[in-house]
Amino acid sequence: MYPFITSLFIVPVAVSALLLILPKGLSRLLIITTSVILSGISLYLFMTITNPLHFGVPHFMDGVVSVADIVLLFYFGSVAIRRKSWLVGVLTILQLGAVSWLLTMKHAGSELQFTVDKLSVFMFLLINVISGIIAIFSIQYIDSEDCSAFRKKYFLSLLLWFIAVMNLIVSSDNMEYFFLFFELTTLASFLFIGFRKDAESSKNALTALWMNQIGGLAILVAIFFISINGYGAATFSNLLVHSSAPGIMLPLALFCIAALVKGAQIPFSKWLLGAMVAPTPVSALLHSSTMVKIAPFIILRLSPALKGTTVASVVIALTAFVFVAAAIGALSQDNFKRILAHSTIALLALMIMMAAVGTPVTAVACLTLIFFHGLSKCMLFLNAGVLERVFHFKQSSDMDRLGETGPFTSLVISVGFMSLLLPPFGAFIGKWFSIESMGALATHQKILGALVIVAIACGGAILSLLYFKVLGSLIARRGASDDIKFEKTKPLYYDTLCILMGMIFLGVLGFPLLLTHFFAPIASQTLSMPIAVTTVGWKLHIGAMTLPVIPMMIAFLLLPVTFIAAMFVRFGNVDRAKEYACGEKIDYSFSSLYFPTDKASPYFSLIGIAFFVILIVVSVF
Amino acid sequence: MKLNTFRKKSPWILHYNAGGCNGCDIEILACLAPKYDIERFGMINSGNPKQSDVLLVTGPVTKRSRERLVEVYAQMPEPKVVISCGACACTGGVFRGMYNCEGGIDQYIPVDVYVCGCATRPEQIIDGVIQGLSILEKKTKELEQSVRLKNEPVKEGTQLNRRNIAAEIIKTS
Amino acid sequence: MKEVLIPVLLILLAPAIGCLVYGFERIVKARMQRRIGPPLLQPFYDFLKLAEKRSMIVHSTHAFLGIMHFVALWFALAVLLFGGDLILVIFLHLLSTSLLILAAYSTRSIFSHLGANRTVISILCYEPVLILIAVAVYMLTGSFDAASIFNGSEPLLFRMPAAFVALLMILPIKLKKSPFDVAEAHQELTGGVELEFSGVFFAAIYAAKWVDYVFCYTLVYLFGASDPLLGIGLMAFVFLYLNALDNSSARVNYKQMLRFSFVVALPVAFINLLLTILGLHL
Repeated sequence: MYPFITSLFIVPVAVSALLLILPKGLSRLLIITTSVILSGISLYLFMTITNPLHFGVPHFMDGVVSVADIVLLFYFGSVAIRRKSWLVGVLTILQLGAVSWLLTMKHAGSELQFTVDKLSVFMFLLINVISGIIAIFSIQYIDSEDCSAFRKKYFLSLLLWFIAVMNLIVSSDNMEYFFLFFELTTLASFLFIGFRKDAESSKNALTALWMNQIGGLAILVAIFFISINGYGAATFSNLLVHSSAPGIMLPLALFCIAALVKGAQIPFSKWLLGAMVAPTPVSALLHSSTMVKIAPFIILRLSPALKGTTVASVVIALTAFVFVAAAIGALSQDNFKRILAHSTIALLALMIMMAAVGTPVTAVACLTLIFFHGLSKCMLFLNAGVLERVFHFKQSSDMDRLGETGPFTSLVISVGFMSLLLPPFGAFIGKWFSIESMGALATHQKILGALVIVAIACGGAILSLLYFKVLGSLIARRGASDDIKFEKTKPLYYDTLCILMGMIFLGVLGFPLLLTHFFAPIASQTLSMPIAVTTVGWKLHIGAMTLPVIPMMIAFLLLPVTFIAAMFVRFGNVDRAKEYACGEKIDYSFSSLYFPTDKASPYFSLIGIAFFVILIVVSVF
Repeated sequence: MKLNTFRKKSPWILHYNAGGCNGCDIEILACLAPKYDIERFGMINSGNPKQSDVLLVTGPVTKRSRERLVEVYAQMPEPKVVISCGACACTGGVFRGMYNCEGGIDQYIPVDVYVCGCATRPEQIIDGVIQGLSILEKKTKELEQSVRLKNEPVKEGTQLNRRNIAAEIIKTS
Repeated sequence: MKEVLIPVLLILLAPAIGCLVYGFERIVKARMQRRIGPPLLQPFYDFLKLAEKRSMIVHSTHAFLGIMHFVALWFALAVLLFGGDLILVIFLHLLSTSLLILAAYSTRSIFSHLGANRTVISILCYEPVLILIAVAVYMLTGSFDAASIFNGSEPLLFRMPAAFVALLMILPIKLKKSPFDVAEAHQELTGGVELEFSGVFFAAIYAAKWVDYVFCYTLVYLFGASDPLLGIGLMAFVFLYLNALDNSSARVNYKQMLRFSFVVALPVAFINLLLTILGLHL
């Protein structure tokens, strides 16, 4: 087992170094084989690991980590000086101070710095499989980028290195190691967003840097408080053991803040929206499928301690607000990637909310959402890359003729959007579980529960408006001929998109299986409580929630199968007529709905800041 | 019961003004009003050629409206009847011989019932529609062509691309 | 056996029942306008006439999605009549409307697109309220299943009257009746999403409208579930209310509809939810 786990850490780093020196053909092959190997290893681990594995590394690694911390912070400092950014500078100085204070303080070290439990292997699977697919996609994508050959190799090797960092962060138990990897993901964000080296990219990279540094600082202060109060070693398992000790709320709240910053919740959403100027594989990998999933991951780890506390209530209220606000903010956007980013923020808010509630059904809902949202968003973002490279546009209002010129792309985008919204897809099931479990919450915390239900209902409806807004201009076809010729895109684009779509469909068909054998056990281990999964007749009971399997399977026939079949069905022998326009002969172009909701963003930010202040205040008293 | 009888029980009307003075249009709309109430025969004024059976045309066909008239006619599925209401639609009426008018709609589309009058009274229109319904019952699903095209009628089971019919009819004029 | 037979019968006969309801509605509307109106079976005649016309489509995708809209709506009704999960039923209804919207978006027809845009906005108006009503039902009966409503002692109408008021507010939006029929504004959009359907394909959309009636009246019936007489009385009341409102009001534009839904209907549903939650603990 251990060799597999450590290979997940070491192989990507080794491959990343190799990619810098190998020629193009060999590096292609290397990336494809590495993706397959990593996916295979993570799948094997997913199937086999049942009990948590704790293992440690030699003690000198603690020192290496601290040195790496300081080197990283000096790099951030150099960025601050070069770009003359006082925010980054101030935050770096504060972080350096905290790190050095921690070094000088005598605090208990931990023997076992890494924990690999079911949640970690779930994240391993998600990270490695999706990153593998994105890496294969980016071989083609970065080839057509306008930069030097070395920079292309640099991009690919940075991508692989990032996979290693992600694998490390979901398996670290020791909080100082966690902080290092957290800041390494910040560094990755910074380097990737600034990849194109134009003015806007550099500005947005800086924004991402200082906003994520706030999260890192929060982690450091949390470690500081844990060490000062003498709870023992600064590890997650220790934190959960001491979950009812007085004064533990402040570190918990600080970790929640770190999660909320990483998950780009309002008011820290600007960095994710600005990150969309990065190359599309970056947006797919970091900013929708893997890195931002650290946010619900942290909250899930902490949920046995968070459940039922006031801190959790504030987090739930904040994320309910963000779910609606992000959806509203998306209605005024036109850039396709920005729309996807807003929708990511909204769904992340839902995931964090589910994790913060911490009951069995909500934990299962959170895992379902993480998994299926990761797949769907990855597919949508890769499509955005195809739109950018093959069709050369970025605005959704330019998508008018896509139904005719690019039927395959428009089909995949439509399936992607529908998979976030409608039954029987996974993201819908996550939303369904969340609505139902909020009913259970409302019996305990009445006003909060009622408000959260309203938020989920409204946010869900606004998100459906958002998706239809984009879908509208996407699938229109002239009826001149019934034939649909799927366009020829580069094979690597085509294959990765097909693999993702196939995975989404398999996930839908195998959902009862996934639920009983994987999601429920993961949730029950994370929450440390048993979850009863029973089958009564045709219904699947999970905890307090029932999943009627037959209607979902029929809904699968009704929606995705119907939509894809609609492209191939031919009614022969039936007349074809023109569209009715009162007899006029004008040719029209279609655009999408627009609502001027961006005027509300400053108010949303203010409300978000208020929530953060309340969070700190509540945790102290 | 043969399905043909249901055509008579639920004729949906499309009303098109091919450049007229609106006098006959107002009389047609009066038919729908409570006093004359043609909905008791199952008639609805659907605004959509794809879902209507009876085309009520008023007005002499001006040069601008003739393409649109033919387009609307082409988008109506068979079996259908065309009823020209008013003297202008039948023969050109007061405007016959003017530079911008053709002489009535039967230059372009086959007409089944001519309702005279300037403006036609609602009672005459209802009479004309009822006569049109008995013609409708006997029609088949073949596509009839106008005087100008003089082609063979298109049989029931064949597929037809109607997107070009209107252009063809106009081209031969 | 009996509890499977009645739902199955109702599901199989749903279009026929909806046909009679729709026909009766046209008569009532005509009498309110001091006309005579068509015979009761008029929708049935319409359906048979439409089935018999020469078919005409814009392209096969559009026609196929239209037919599947009817099938999906019938399926949503089936899940509801079998006592399924209310939230699932709401989302299956959303699925069927999505198929119709996708059909409308798939042609290059301006009226279809405008109609689809407006239909999407009207979904935004009625869906949150329906979900809030469903959650309030859960609060009272302990389960989201429609079947559990029949086991209660007191009809839902008396235990959560505000929910019924909220339902009354959004039923016109759902059924596309004045004053909230922007989606099907006949004088503006000549039918909106239904425009490009013709012949037997329009017969499917027409029948889908009947099934939608049965769906909405079943939702109303749920408010008087354990007492059949009350349920039927509620259905009659809602029927008269909808038609009176339809005949006497003008159309509002979509912004006013949005404002009404979020300023009036949603707060009413929210107050209902709060009262239900607080009432459970008094």
